[in-house]
Amino acid sequence: MNSNSTPSAAPPVARLIEAFSRLPGVGPKSAQRLTYFMIRMPREEAEALAEALISVKDRIVLCSKCLNITEDPVCAVCSNERRDRTRICVVEEPLDVLALERTRAYEGLYHVLHGSISPVNGIGAEQLKIRELLDRLRDETVTELILATNPNLEGEATSMYLQRLISPLGIKVTRLARGLSSGADLEYADEMTLANALEGRAEVAVDKETSTE
Amino acid sequence: MTSGRPNLFTTEAVVLRHSDLGEADRLLWLLTPQRGVIRATARGARKPGSKLGGHIDLLCYVKLSIREGRELHGISQADTIDAFRNVRTDLGRLSRGLNIGELAQRISVEDAPAPEVFRLLVNSLGWLATTENADTLVRWFALRLMTITGFKPELGACVDCGNELEPDDHVFSAERGGLLCPSCRSQGSDALHPASLGTIKVLRHLARSDFPAVESLNIGAEERRQIERILRSHTNSVIGRGVLSSAFLDEVRDWPEVGPVPGGIRAD
Repeated sequence: MNSNSTPSAAPPVARLIEAFSRLPGVGPKSAQRLTYFMIRMPREEAEALAEALISVKDRIVLCSKCLNITEDPVCAVCSNERRDRTRICVVEEPLDVLALERTRAYEGLYHVLHGSISPVNGIGAEQLKIRELLDRLRDETVTELILATNPNLEGEATSMYLQRLISPLGIKVTRLARGLSSGADLEYADEMTLANALEGRAEVAVDKETSTE
Repeated sequence: MTSGRPNLFTTEAVVLRHSDLGEADRLLWLLTPQRGVIRATARGARKPGSKLGGHIDLLCYVKLSIREGRELHGISQADTIDAFRNVRTDLGRLSRGLNIGELAQRISVEDAPAPEVFRLLVNSLGWLATTENADTLVRWFALRLMTITGFKPELGACVDCGNELEPDDHVFSAERGGLLCPSCRSQGSDALHPASLGTIKVLRHLARSDFPAVESLNIGAEERRQIERILRSHTNSVIGRGVLSSAFLDEVRDWPEVGPVPGGIRAD
C-alpha cells in the first residue's frame, strides 16, 4: 500500500489522517496509526481531547512581558513579586522555560524569543521577539541578561547577535556554561564541547578539614 | 568508501542544513565528495550527552559512518575533522560561512558526485577561519563554484556576439550569463549591471587565481559594489531564487567582531 495515499479511507478518516500528518515529526504511517487509535477511543476521551485542543486555541495567549505561553495577560513568573527582576534569562522556546524552572536554581525572569536566527532558512532577527526584549531592557531595571539559547550554531549566532545589541546598553550579558554533560564519556566528546569545557574549567575547591596530607 | 558491511559506508561530509525530526532526532543535509548532497538522520542528536550531537552541527567537517536507507540514510558514527571554531565564534565569519555553505548546497545535486565542490568548500571554510578579507573570500568562492559547476560567467568576450571585449567599461547581464559589448547591450530587455574596467579586471583575476593569490587584493568601494551586484544576480539566476542567508550577511557585514576568537583575526 502506498503510504502517501489512503484510497479506501472514508472522507472523515482521511481528513483526520491529513490533519495528523501536518504535526511535526508525524509521517503518513504514524498519522494513520493515530487516526485508527482515535477511532477506537471511547467518545468521552475523544471529546476531552477535542475540548483540550479548542481550549488551547481559545484561552492561551502570549505573556505581555516575557512572551511565554500563558492563560493570563501576564504569566505566573512575571506576576510573581518574589522573582528577581534584575535578571532576565533569554530562551528560544516556551519549553525551555519549563526546563529551566525544573532546575529550581533560577529566581529571575525570562524572555522567550520564539525561535533562533537561522540564515539558511531565511529566519532573521526581525522574525524573533528581539524588539520586545530591547523595550523591556529600556523600561525595566535589569542588570544581567543571561543568554540561554541552544548550544548549536543557530543558538550561538542568536547569542552573539544579542550580545552585540545589548552590550552597549551597559547591561551585564552572560551565557550558560557549555561543556561535558553529566554521565557522558570524555572519549566521545566533540572538539567544540571539549574546548568549551577546557575554557570554562573551574578550580576544584579543597575542603581543608577532610583533605588528607 | 564502503566498509565491511554492505549497507554501511563511511564518508567525509560538511553539514549544510538541518531540521528537527521526531522527539530528539535531527535530519541533516550533508555535502559529500562521492555522493554530492545526501540527507541522513541522526537519532537522539538533540539530547544532551548524545554521541552524535556535538559532531554534526552546521558547518562541521566530519567523518561519518552511515547506514544506507531507501529514502533517508542513518548516521551511526561521527567524528569531527574540523569544526572551524574561529568561524562559528565570530558573527561576521559565521554569516559568510553560512552563505558559502548555502551556495554549495543549493547548486549541488542529490546523489551526484561533487568532489571539487566539496574540496572547495572545506578549503574555503579553513581560509575563512583566518583571513582578514572574508568578503573577498565569499566573492572568490562564488566565482570558483560557478566555474566548477559549469556556470562560469563570460568575462572575456561579449556573451551575445562572441567578439572580444575592448578594454573599457561594459555591462553584465545575469540572464545571458556574461558581459555585453556596446552594440549588443541595447538588444533584449534584461536587467543590466554596470561593470567598469576596474571591476572586470578584478573579476577576471578572481576567476583565474587561487584564493591565497587574491586574498590581499585591494578592491575599491565602487568595484566592490559592482562585483557584489554582478555575482549575486548571476548566482541567483543560476540557482533560480535568492540566496536566503545573504540578508543576514548584509545585516552583520560591518559589525565589529563580537565573540571570543582565540588566536583569530578580526573579520573585515
